[in-house]
Amino acid sequence: MHIKRLANIAAFELVRLFLTKRGLLAVVAFSVCWILILRYPIGQAVSLLGSPDFADFFNSIFGAIGFSKLLTWPEAELAVYWPIALYSFPVFCLFLCGDQTVGDRQRGTLRFLTLRATRAEIILGRFVGQVLILAVLLSLTIVATIVMLGFREPSLFISSVPRAFTLLLHLVITVMPFIALMTFLNTFARSSRLALVLAILFFAGGSIIVALLAWQVPVLESLNMMFPGYQINEVAGQNAGMLLGIGLPLLQTFTLLLMSERVFARSAL
Amino acid sequence: MTTLISANGLSKRFGTKLALDKVTFEVQKGAPVALVGPNGAGKTTLFSLLCGYILPSAGELNILGNRPGSASLFGQLAALPQDAQLDPRFSIIHQLRFYGQLQGYGRRKAQQESERVLALVGLSDVAKSRPSDLSHGMRKRVTIGQALFGEPQIVMLDEATAGLDPIHAREIRELVSSLSEQTTFILSSHDLSELERLCTQVLHLDHGVLSEHNAHARPTTNTLYFTLQLSQVYPQVEQALALLPSVTKVYMSQAKEYVIEYERGAKALDIAILQCCHSNNWQYRQIINGHTLENQIFHKA
Repeated sequence: MHIKRLANIAAFELVRLFLTKRGLLAVVAFSVCWILILRYPIGQAVSLLGSPDFADFFNSIFGAIGFSKLLTWPEAELAVYWPIALYSFPVFCLFLCGDQTVGDRQRGTLRFLTLRATRAEIILGRFVGQVLILAVLLSLTIVATIVMLGFREPSLFISSVPRAFTLLLHLVITVMPFIALMTFLNTFARSSRLALVLAILFFAGGSIIVALLAWQVPVLESLNMMFPGYQINEVAGQNAGMLLGIGLPLLQTFTLLLMSERVFARSAL
Repeated sequence: MTTLISANGLSKRFGTKLALDKVTFEVQKGAPVALVGPNGAGKTTLFSLLCGYILPSAGELNILGNRPGSASLFGQLAALPQDAQLDPRFSIIHQLRFYGQLQGYGRRKAQQESERVLALVGLSDVAKSRPSDLSHGMRKRVTIGQALFGEPQIVMLDEATAGLDPIHAREIRELVSSLSEQTTFILSSHDLSELERLCTQVLHLDHGVLSEHNAHARPTTNTLYFTLQLSQVYPQVEQALALLPSVTKVYMSQAKEYVIEYERGAKALDIAILQCCHSNNWQYRQIINGHTLENQIFHKA
C-alpha cells in the first residue's frame, strides 16, 4: 500500500465533487436542502422546544424514542440538528457514494488506473475520498448550525464547539459503514443505480430474512449487527456506549472494505 | 537479450469457452512484437492477462520478473487497452497529470510529461478539452499518449490505429518506430502490412492457440519465394512466370498477387521477373523478397 498514491486517489475524489459540473450540482442540491433544514427545524428549535404548548408533546415524543437526554442540552439547535443529520446523512451517502468504481469499470478508465495503482489502493483511496467528502459536507452543516446558535445566544457559542466536534466525529463514523457498503456493492454491480438497488435490497430483504431466522432461533437476532446503522437509534439518544457507538461501525467498515478488496482483486476489468 | 515477458502454459477459460489454450512464448527486449489473429482468437484476452486485468485459469506469466498487476510494473509497463476511455468529466491534461502523479511524478513534472505526450500524439492544442469534446480518433490518440507517459520498458497497444485516418495512423506507426530503441512495443492489429513494416516477431493466435512467426526470418530450406503484386489482373501470369529459370512453382495467393517458389542458388531471378513483367506489358505494384506476413500466416505453402 503506497500512501502517496492512495492520497492522490482520495484527493481526486474531492476534485470530482467540487470541481465538476455534476459534482457541483449535487453540492447545490445538498445546500438547498440544508438551507431549508437550517432555516426551519433548526432555526425554530428554541421556540419549538421552549414553547409551553409543545413542551409536553416533545417530552413525550423524545422520551418515547429515547431522546430525552437531548432536551437537556442548552444548545437547542444542536439537539435538533443531531437526529436530523444522524438519520439523513446515511441515506444521503448511499446516493452520493453510489458510483465509486462502477462507472470507471464500465468505461474502462480503471484499466488506465490499475497500470499505475494497485486495486487495493484504488478501493481504499476512493473510500477515503468519499469519507472526506462527507466529512466536508457534515462540517459545513454543523458549522452553519453553531453559527446560528451563536447568533441567537453568543454565550453558548464557545461551549457548543466541543459538543459539535463530538457530534461531527460520531456522524463521520456513522456514515463510514454506509460508504463501505457502497464500496463493496461497486465491486460487482454493473451500474451505480444497480448498486443503490442492491443496497436497498440488502437493508430491506436482509432485515426480513434475519427477522425470520430470529423467529426460529432467537439468538440469530444478533445478525442485525451486520447492517450499517444498527446502532443509530441508541447513538441518537446518546444512550450508546463506545463499543456500540464507535466500535461496531468501525468493525462493519473494516469488514466491508476487506470484502471489497478481496472481490475487487479477483474481478475482471 | 533481455527477456521482458515469459508465458508458460497460459490458459484462460470463460465458463465453458477456452479463450487461450496453453500459450507459451517469450518476448525479448528489442523490435516491436505483433499479436495477430482473427476476431475472437484471444488477442484481447492475452492483452488483458498481460496487463493484469484478468487472472489466468492456468499457467505462469512473468513480466520483468513480476506477476502482472504487480506494483513493481507501474511505470514500466504501459498499455492502450481496447475500448477503454478517459473520464468524460475532466480535462485531458487534468487526467494525464493525475496519472503522472500516480506514477510518482511531482505535480509540475507530471504537467510537463503530460504536455510532452500530448505533443507526441499531436494534440497539444486540445489539452484543456474534455474527452467528450474530441472526435473518436483524437480520443484514441490521447489514450495512446497516456501509454507513452514516462519511460516504460514495455508498451502494449491493442488496435492502436483502428479508427484513425491514414495520416494519423501513419504518424502513430512512425512514433512507434522512432521509440522502438528505448521501448519494446507489443502491437495488435488487423492491418498485417502495418505490422510487417514494424515488427519482427509475430505471435499468431487462432482459437486460443498460439504459433510464432518471424516476419524477417532468413529461409533455411532450399525453396525460396518471391511475392509479386500486379496492379491489375492479366491472363496467363502463372504460366509465364513458371517458365522462368529455377522457378519450381507459381500460384496466386490472392487477387493480383503471385507467389513464386524457386530453388536456392537461382541467379538474378528478381531481375528476370521484372523483365517478364516488362515484356508482357504487366504493370507491377511491388515485388517482395519472400512471403508477405499475411501469406506466412494464412497461406502456409
